[in-house]
Amino acid sequence: MDGYAGKMAFVDLTKGKVTIKPTPEDLKRLYLGGRGFGARIVSDRVDPKTDALSPENVIVFAAGPLTGTGIPLGSRYEVTTKAPLNDTLTSANSGGVFGWKMKKAGFDAVVISGRSPKPVFLFLNEGTAEVRDGTQYWGMRTSETTAALKRDLEDKNVRVACIGPAGEKKSRLACIINEEHRAAGRGGTGAVLGSKNVKALAATGDLPIKPADEEKLNAVKERVRKKIEENGIEKALHSYGTAVLINIINENGVLPTRNFQRGYFPQAEKISGETMAQTILTKPKGCYACIVQCGRVTKAGDEEGEGPEYEPDWAFGADCGIDDLPAIARANYRCNDLGLDAIGTATAIACAMEMTEKGYLDNGIGFGDTEKMLKLVEDIGYRRLLGAELADGSFRFAVKHGHPELSMSVKKQDLPAYDPRGIQGYGLAVATSVRGGDHVYGYMISPEILGAPEKLDPYTSEGKDQWVKTFQDLTASIDASGMCLFTSFALGADDYADLIAATTGMAMTAPDLLQIGERIWNLQKLFNLKVGYTKADDTLPDRLLKEPLQDGAPKGRVWERQPLLDNYYTVRGWDSEGRPTPEKLKELGLM
Amino acid sequence: MNVTVKSFATFREVMDRQLTLDIPEGSTIRTLLAELNGRYNGLNELMFATMDTLKDFVNILKNGRNIHFLAGLDTPLDDGDLVALFPPVAGG
Repeated sequence: MDGYAGKMAFVDLTKGKVTIKPTPEDLKRLYLGGRGFGARIVSDRVDPKTDALSPENVIVFAAGPLTGTGIPLGSRYEVTTKAPLNDTLTSANSGGVFGWKMKKAGFDAVVISGRSPKPVFLFLNEGTAEVRDGTQYWGMRTSETTAALKRDLEDKNVRVACIGPAGEKKSRLACIINEEHRAAGRGGTGAVLGSKNVKALAATGDLPIKPADEEKLNAVKERVRKKIEENGIEKALHSYGTAVLINIINENGVLPTRNFQRGYFPQAEKISGETMAQTILTKPKGCYACIVQCGRVTKAGDEEGEGPEYEPDWAFGADCGIDDLPAIARANYRCNDLGLDAIGTATAIACAMEMTEKGYLDNGIGFGDTEKMLKLVEDIGYRRLLGAELADGSFRFAVKHGHPELSMSVKKQDLPAYDPRGIQGYGLAVATSVRGGDHVYGYMISPEILGAPEKLDPYTSEGKDQWVKTFQDLTASIDASGMCLFTSFALGADDYADLIAATTGMAMTAPDLLQIGERIWNLQKLFNLKVGYTKADDTLPDRLLKEPLQDGAPKGRVWERQPLLDNYYTVRGWDSEGRPTPEKLKELGLM
Repeated sequence: MNVTVKSFATFREVMDRQLTLDIPEGSTIRTLLAELNGRYNGLNELMFATMDTLKDFVNILKNGRNIHFLAGLDTPLDDGDLVALFPPVAGG
């Protein structure tokens, strides 16, 4: 009666053994769920020096206490592991229905270790967890896998999270796809499943998920529902999807174009959310219990699918110099079906495009070459031809070809769709992100460009250290709770704390919640330090520090690393090298 | 003098997506918006919370710079300026 399913499944693939244990009370209290559970478990069980694709790595699927409780936008689950792409203690978040189903099947978390001698899938059903033969699904794309498992299990209510060919081939860009179109996208989580010979997790069941105080929860639910429904931002997400950002980011002069060579894409309108709504959009779609429905069901020529969301729209669009929205949608469909992170795939292609443009790559691919781009996505998924080199991301590709400066990545993970040269606080958030290049570990775009919760000048640094820390910690706790990050445009820390208190019965205030987030952040940071990351890695690609933007209002600007970085270390309670101090670790209960 | 105005997202449901206006010297964002509100029914309700206050999360850019960091609604306009009007939007 605390929102949790109450059990965790520990799957040792090497021994073929499943152990089911109660979800520990101290884990709930200190780490909440989702990303918090994952960070604690991976940190405890994985040596930071372990090869991410070895049997010794552990991968955790975890929902939060608010997942599947009927709270609006309470749909998320988190996949946490040591990342094949960059060795960080990473987590990837996904929505859809799978997280809810995992709890209805009886589990707050599934912890997978070892390596199976042959392909398997995990079947979670009404409190049981089994390792089953998955040989017949190996080689299938994600849509085929999902359909085949539903058919073979003779259960239309089963929900599937699986890898595609990219995960099987251990591409460091491989993701995990649930319900065919929702992705736990970044860091190469799909390659970890592939290395363990796990094709899929299938979850079914109808076990109860009961809150501690139903009456109180209903009252808080109504309050947050009203805030979300009345928030203008959430309305825009419904009407135009996340790609509504294309125009505002472009007009601000910070839409990275042609592998971050420019910050303005003249054809942005053609790939915008507004154009999508008038052309390829069939209908909006939401995850479990969603009242926003930012997802896009689309039709591009004779193909149908979902997306593109803002990020892949930008990545295959402006970053690759492509303005053909239906082609971008088709590239996105392919990524989902192959089990590829659409951001990392497209940005790796953009890197190859600049290599080609500069004459560093023979028989490469030019900016704007739509047909070649579409073929290359397939080749990346199957590790063929040039795709074989790009399948491990832009960083390894650029290093191999002697031009690491052309990988627009932080800690080997490619940057998302905003140019930090014109958004100083966002640059700090990305440079210090504990999973590398990333936009969902502290979304400073919200105050610096969108004006929520208040307008911060994107060109200045003052005060951004504290803002970044707060956003990073709050995001970590939202990821632990099971709520969708998009609720944060309408809700504050007090709202999440009230939802958690009513659901779990734990005393929870906004400061308590932020401290849980801070604990998670520091735990991930400690792991990364042991991997070997240092202050020198808390930075951005040289281009963004040295080559000024050339267009629009931010023309002439670069990202200014100092004193932002040192000030940030100070507000985090870290030493001058970016290491958590003993005092900070004691405060957080981490030593 | 001429200024170009571009609208986005839900603002396009009540106004043209792009137009060029001939406005008097000394015009500001405030006088430009008054002109636009006179032309387009429903725009005022989408844009303003009160006569003097834009709604939360409405963003207006002059040549790519948010007017909040210029002189707000009193930001002066010059010949050739580009003004972009955004209702609340988000994503990620």
